Amino acid sequence: MEIWDLLQLAAPIMLKGTAYTLLFALSSMVGGLALGFLLAVARIIPWRMVQWPAAVYVSLMRGTPLLVQIFVVYYGLPSIGIELSPLTAGVLTLSLNASAYLSESLRGAIIGVSKGQWYASYSIGMTYLQTLTSVVMPQAIRMAVPSMSNSLISLIKDTSLVSVITVTELMLSTKEIIAITFRPLPLYIAAAMLYWLLSICFESLQHRLECRLGRAHR
Amino acid sequence: MTRTKNRTLSALLAGLLLASASVVAHATDLLDTAKARGTLKVALEGTYPPFNFKDPKTGELTGFEVDVAKLLAAKLGLKAEFTTTEWSGILAGLGAGKYDVIINQVGITDERQKAFDFSDPYTLSSAQLIVRKDEKRQFNSLEDLKGKKLGLGQGTNFEQKAKSVSGIDIKTYPGAPEYLADLASGRIDAALNDSLLVGYLLKTSTLPLKGGAPVGSIDKIGIPFQKGNPQFKAALNQALAEIIRDGSFKQVSIKWFGIDVSKPPAAQ
Repeated sequence: MEIWDLLQLAAPIMLKGTAYTLLFALSSMVGGLALGFLLAVARIIPWRMVQWPAAVYVSLMRGTPLLVQIFVVYYGLPSIGIELSPLTAGVLTLSLNASAYLSESLRGAIIGVSKGQWYASYSIGMTYLQTLTSVVMPQAIRMAVPSMSNSLISLIKDTSLVSVITVTELMLSTKEIIAITFRPLPLYIAAAMLYWLLSICFESLQHRLECRLGRAHR
Repeated sequence: MTRTKNRTLSALLAGLLLASASVVAHATDLLDTAKARGTLKVALEGTYPPFNFKDPKTGELTGFEVDVAKLLAAKLGLKAEFTTTEWSGILAGLGAGKYDVIINQVGITDERQKAFDFSDPYTLSSAQLIVRKDEKRQFNSLEDLKGKKLGLGQGTNFEQKAKSVSGIDIKTYPGAPEYLADLASGRIDAALNDSLLVGYLLKTSTLPLKGGAPVGSIDKIGIPFQKGNPQFKAALNQALAEIIRDGSFKQVSIKWFGIDVSKPPAAQ
């Protein structure tokens, strides 16, 4: 079979897989960012009762394999009566995992904002919360964009792990074609190109965001 | 392929399985649950031709085991509902009750019987070597491969078979396409797979390979389901006996393999 015929044969199945990959990636990005923000804040506010659980959570989610986390959520939770669909379980686990990495990027950026900014805000009578949301966070987000984009782009490829919970995403759909055609190399390369294409889209988003947030600093 | 895949996760999975199996108590027999639902939930990989795979033209699941599942479901008065998943999660999913049965060349082993019940075997097969077409050396058994490179699928029971003979340089691969390519290019000396699969592999791929000697004992392939379902077990075995008796099983088997796989390899 010629490469072209092979790719034509594979295209419909792999594109459907790509749609699933994109769905998982986008949903988990939203979930991961939302939870990541909360975690980052929880780790910097001067309140031990909140800091400590957040630190343990981040350590646990970064320190255990994503594959195991997916397994526990999908196959383990039913034993305590929590039954999730593959879609829910996949998005949930990817979000939980990504949030740990994203929160650390953001926390680093918040710490990176000069202490003087905090003191200056306090001196004009702003509260802690006001300082955090109106002064420090906008500066921190700008600094956190490149490293958070790292985690988000990495997340696109992490979605391939949801194939173990019955989701036929891009990687599994590629394997399906390989199983019947015995042509691993061209098909894996095709899958890699699709992942790259998705990543390029996000890179351009990142670039636009950096330009926008950096307007005051040109 | 009697897949006794033992990946790094297996220990953890076993724990999860036991944990879930012990908590998921059966108030009702699986047969009643399935009858009430009207469907038989069947899990398979969907990447394992000719047993189960997706037809690239239609995107529909097809293959020997898809046909068998439909026959069995019909006998049980149910409609077969398929779920495809990767092998690494398939047994865990059965333990967690995500589906009723797995019909995916699951070998009946002592270890698995501790966790699940099995139907009577529906396939009997053995392992077979695959070598290059121009191979001059004689590999008649695994012993002949001492000091040679043998390729096989990760965590399959072929891995254990090969490991039981010391001195073979075993190379494990994610799947058949990868080791067949390496065999053709000469990086390994032989490959090992299910005898039923060899014919299909060689017919489908254009690589210069041929079937070699059969090795090892005969494997029994059955249908696993959760323990504690005596009525379901009886009904499933009866359905299996019926499709074998009325010839519909044989017809499907011959369609995919050219032989009746419910008979031992010697009698095929």
